[in-house]
Amino acid sequence: MATSESRPYRLLGGRIPYVEGPLKVTGRAEYTDDIQRPGMLVGRVLRSPWPHATIRAIDVADARALPGVSAVLTGEKYPTPFGVLPITHDETAIAVGKVRYIGDIVAAVAARDERTAEEALARIRVDVEPLPDYPDPESGTRPVAVPIHARGLNGTNIQKEVVQHFGDVDAAFAQAAYTARVRGTFAGVTHAFTEPLVTVAEATPDGRLTVWSATQVPHYLHRALSEVLGIPLHRIRVVKPEVGGGFGGKSDPLPHEIVCAALAIETGRPVKILFDREDVFYTNHGRHPTKNDIRIALDANGQILAYDIEATIDGGAWSSFGTVTTYYNGVLSMGPYRVPNFRYKGRRVYTTKPPSGAMRAHGGTNLRYSIEVALDELAETTGIDPFDLRARNALPSDSTTVNQFHIGSTSFLACLAAARERSGWDAKFRRLPYGRGVGLGCGFYISGSNSPIHFTPKMPQSTVHLKVDMDGGIAVHSMQADIGQGSNTLLAAIVAEVLGVDLDRVHVQRVDSDVSPIDLGSYSSRVTFMMGNAARAAAEELRGYLLDAAAELLGTPVGELEVGPERYQRRSDPSSSVTFLEALHKAMERRGALTASGSYQTRPMGGSFKGARAGTAPAYSFAAYVAEVAVDVETGEYRVEKIWAAFDCGRPLNRLAVEGQIEGSIHMGLGQVLGESMNYRGDRLLNPSLLEYKIPMPQQMPEVEILLVGADDPDGPFGAKEAGEGPLIATLPAVGNALYDALGVRFPELPITPDRVLRGIDQRRAKGVAWKGS
Amino acid sequence: MHLDAFELHRPTSVDATVRLAGELAGRFDFLAGGTDLLPNYKMHLNLKPHLIALEDVGELHGHAGDRIGAMCRLADLEADAAFLDRYPPLADAVREVATPLVRASGTVGGNLLVETRCFFFNQSYFWRASLGFCLKADGDQCHVVPQKERCYATFSGDLAPALMALDAEVEIAGPSGRRRHPVGALYDTAGDGIQRVTLRPGELVVAVHLPPGAAHQRGRYKKLRVRPSYDFPELGVAVAGVWDDGRVSELRLAVGGVDPHPRRFDDLTDALVDHAPSEERVRALGEEVARRVRPVHNTFLQADYRRRMVAVYVRRALAEAREPVAA
Amino acid sequence: MSPSAPVRFRLNGQPAEAPCEAPTILLDLLREQLRLTGTKRGCDLGTCGCCTVLVDGRPTLSCLTLARLVDGHEVTTIEGVSPAQGLSPVQRAFVELGATQCGFCTPGFIVTATALLRDHPHPTRAEIERAVSGNLCRCTGYRKIVDAIETAARGGT
Repeated sequence: MATSESRPYRLLGGRIPYVEGPLKVTGRAEYTDDIQRPGMLVGRVLRSPWPHATIRAIDVADARALPGVSAVLTGEKYPTPFGVLPITHDETAIAVGKVRYIGDIVAAVAARDERTAEEALARIRVDVEPLPDYPDPESGTRPVAVPIHARGLNGTNIQKEVVQHFGDVDAAFAQAAYTARVRGTFAGVTHAFTEPLVTVAEATPDGRLTVWSATQVPHYLHRALSEVLGIPLHRIRVVKPEVGGGFGGKSDPLPHEIVCAALAIETGRPVKILFDREDVFYTNHGRHPTKNDIRIALDANGQILAYDIEATIDGGAWSSFGTVTTYYNGVLSMGPYRVPNFRYKGRRVYTTKPPSGAMRAHGGTNLRYSIEVALDELAETTGIDPFDLRARNALPSDSTTVNQFHIGSTSFLACLAAARERSGWDAKFRRLPYGRGVGLGCGFYISGSNSPIHFTPKMPQSTVHLKVDMDGGIAVHSMQADIGQGSNTLLAAIVAEVLGVDLDRVHVQRVDSDVSPIDLGSYSSRVTFMMGNAARAAAEELRGYLLDAAAELLGTPVGELEVGPERYQRRSDPSSSVTFLEALHKAMERRGALTASGSYQTRPMGGSFKGARAGTAPAYSFAAYVAEVAVDVETGEYRVEKIWAAFDCGRPLNRLAVEGQIEGSIHMGLGQVLGESMNYRGDRLLNPSLLEYKIPMPQQMPEVEILLVGADDPDGPFGAKEAGEGPLIATLPAVGNALYDALGVRFPELPITPDRVLRGIDQRRAKGVAWKGS
Repeated sequence: MHLDAFELHRPTSVDATVRLAGELAGRFDFLAGGTDLLPNYKMHLNLKPHLIALEDVGELHGHAGDRIGAMCRLADLEADAAFLDRYPPLADAVREVATPLVRASGTVGGNLLVETRCFFFNQSYFWRASLGFCLKADGDQCHVVPQKERCYATFSGDLAPALMALDAEVEIAGPSGRRRHPVGALYDTAGDGIQRVTLRPGELVVAVHLPPGAAHQRGRYKKLRVRPSYDFPELGVAVAGVWDDGRVSELRLAVGGVDPHPRRFDDLTDALVDHAPSEERVRALGEEVARRVRPVHNTFLQADYRRRMVAVYVRRALAEAREPVAA
Repeated sequence: MSPSAPVRFRLNGQPAEAPCEAPTILLDLLREQLRLTGTKRGCDLGTCGCCTVLVDGRPTLSCLTLARLVDGHEVTTIEGVSPAQGLSPVQRAFVELGATQCGFCTPGFIVTATALLRDHPHPTRAEIERAVSGNLCRCTGYRKIVDAIETAARGGT
């Protein structure tokens, strides 16, 4: 593999098995549904069967009268709106006044068991006046009879509109030698994590509320609970057990989490809400169904002159991260190529469907597909090889984009070179027989957001606390959320690396808001970068105390010491050393158990125009993927045989985890190509099940060759950048462009199911234009 | 998800089962492997107050010679390569059912009688209630082909087409004793997605019998689906026959996944017997089968695509049966 | 049997007995009554494989199994395939090769893989893929899972 194997670090850069692995392979890891509290009740929600309706009355008397029912809740009890973005609080825990999609929560009950709870739900009578429904975002861009939300722009269902223009796009197109246009259509897809949504809550007589939940962002849940329930933050304790996958779907504070807490308060007893799989599909917050329209202008040399981008984004019933989504669907086009002129008009429109939100590679995926397909078209038109065209336009390191993103490190050219060489591109492109093809797709993604959702922009985005007592075990506290991506392992490894100790000394503590300092959790690919820097800072503080003590024991200036394995030693004479425990015990003489704290905050960045901070990040990841496909041209069925995945995540700190993220991202990205799709008839979701929502099977996974070619990022912890989301993006256009190479057919609509492939083949044949001898 | 209350019966003989089935007529379902029935029960689809578990009826289990018990687990057939090698279309079909975990519990009889499927039927009670239910459960309206008379739910078993192509028979026990008839006669071709089988009250499928001539016939079962696991057939085509020097001396073709019941096309295949069918005739056969089936859009892939694939899959199944490719 | 008769079976090598009603599902019996929470509930409809256990040695969807029908049979859960100390070879391979991420599907995979390797000690990669194609993993893209099972079959890392 063309990877940088230099190992200046003892642990980091190696393959570090996940610290919780032994618990997970034995079934001993504790997830939220495994929590059992004495006297716990079962919470259940009643969902709206109407896509849009005014609630006239809800009669809960019969439900309350049912023996075994402890509480029945409706929306007016906790009407305070919330939402993940402070500027778009448009959700309520339970519908207040109206319902907005089939699946909206209308009421909730807590009862002694599941059967009683369901019987109680069946006894609730909801009297409604149906309203016109709006399953289609296009129709909602004009004034409508009854807007889904009062906050829709000018009587429409538009939740957010973004218009940005840098440079002069019209002039650029006027002087362009070549242009291409792709109009992409993307079905909604969803996270489909294996652990269903689940929350346990308990209100205790000391006036405190404890909430255990399957969440990616314990801190946002903490805040939403406080706001909606009217309880100060310090009287709420949020605990994150192991989380069975998130991919963005557990990053919003979700209504059922608040409902569960409310039921616990009402009843005075612990309550668990465990969602059925169908409930999870209704909760959704997955990738938005999108239509985009991308125009690219090139000069005669193949230099990109301009992008002109429009997007219409189907938001579903709530805002969620939608304002960010609307920006991202434009501004995440600002890499990996230099784009001197840029215009974007994006609209996110409320519809009477399950809410869309953030899903892995949020905002960057559908946009990138259309761009990379358009570039593939331009490569063909200009006769420039797709690799050369991209290399010619690559952004350099330490550069600034037209919308003032600062690009620190980029190894994009190295990604291109590695993917080209390893895939045998030059021997394959347009040279494989009809039905076989290779395609190039590239990627670009933020490594954390400079514009976090936070109390004030001045507070650190991540804080890590360390405590070590005489036993030499190091407890690590942070609200970073391991959801399977390996952040606990990385946190432990960074601390161990800095202190020079064995990994098994470091114990990452379960996230518990009573003791964990705030980190903003697992979203926007921020954890390695931000938590990593905070952890490094904390560990360096602790190391300072230990080195001071070691210096005292050795009678040597601190500056002469270095860190060895489980010891601190003279640089000039490593045999002159003290062990970690000797240094620790010496250091403790003065102050008892040692504690240290580290934090990370991004520096100010971005322009001063409206929306300037959207997409600003302390670093960006880059990718160049080649996919090779084989198509059955008679049935339209195809197989992705191999993907060469060249990725720039800076320095990979845990190769096992980076590979796992890339392979998992490819699998998820492939799903969106092969058949994952939330299928609607009107506003009715037809396939809310893991049987009919088509996640790829192991036999559909291609061979994957991972090429980690990133150079150290100057601001990343030990040179690292993100590897959790960016690796998804390039998968989709690589396959789409490979299908073009195989068939001479463009597929601007995802997923690319066999029936669509066959239709494309037919259409090309009907035109009578041959392709590679067919 | 829980199951609503029902009474569970565990007869230990076929006679006792038949007796019980007579007593409970119309108020029970048989429980075989449970992988089809229990998801449907969890979704509150046509619940009955009694379940008769067939687990303890010894006669229904196992397979030997040319007989397969109705309660024979698909995984047990799958594990018996020597047996399956004699019946290539059945081998293909067994290996393609659902997932290994479903095949571990799922049975031969259960797959033959698998409930017909439709996007508007295989949904939770909440989902169906929000649409006002459908003909097949709790309602009076079809949402696929809007009308109130006929259910278009699709037959989604894999084994039936293969067994029909092999000319297998089912052995049925009932109040008036045992009877045997071709597998295809299990299905009510005059019925629809609701009235789908010809079993009389109190009857149950006891076993499948493969005719002596079936062993070592050439054949294939080809299944169209989005994923190589989990998915029910969007189309299943089975062929079995005898070729002598390229000349067809016996040929049968059965298709599932596109109608409310699996079908054979004997008039079309009989016309090929005693011929060495040209590519042209084989193609014409596939196209005629495609013309006769009536897929509707109630599964994942578009109906017109599934119909088109009938022609391709028929042609390929015939070609691969004639010239078996090494597995 | 009366509405709530005890079901008697062997559970992880020990005799077990629990009252259960006719509609009680094995997964509920294991998780809710017997508190064996290693077996996971991912979909309740047989579509994820997180709830896989062995019934008489056969990988089985416990969410689609009536508890009463295991009366007299042998049930082995993830707790039962895990050694008292340390890890089994396939568990060790899962840890060392990073075949777990979120871990929620992992017990089901381990149970399935344990049975596979018992019956087919030297499976091909294709056989492994096929054998685990009823267990859904959303994190790993399956590659490291298949690697781990292959590695365990070869005798470890």
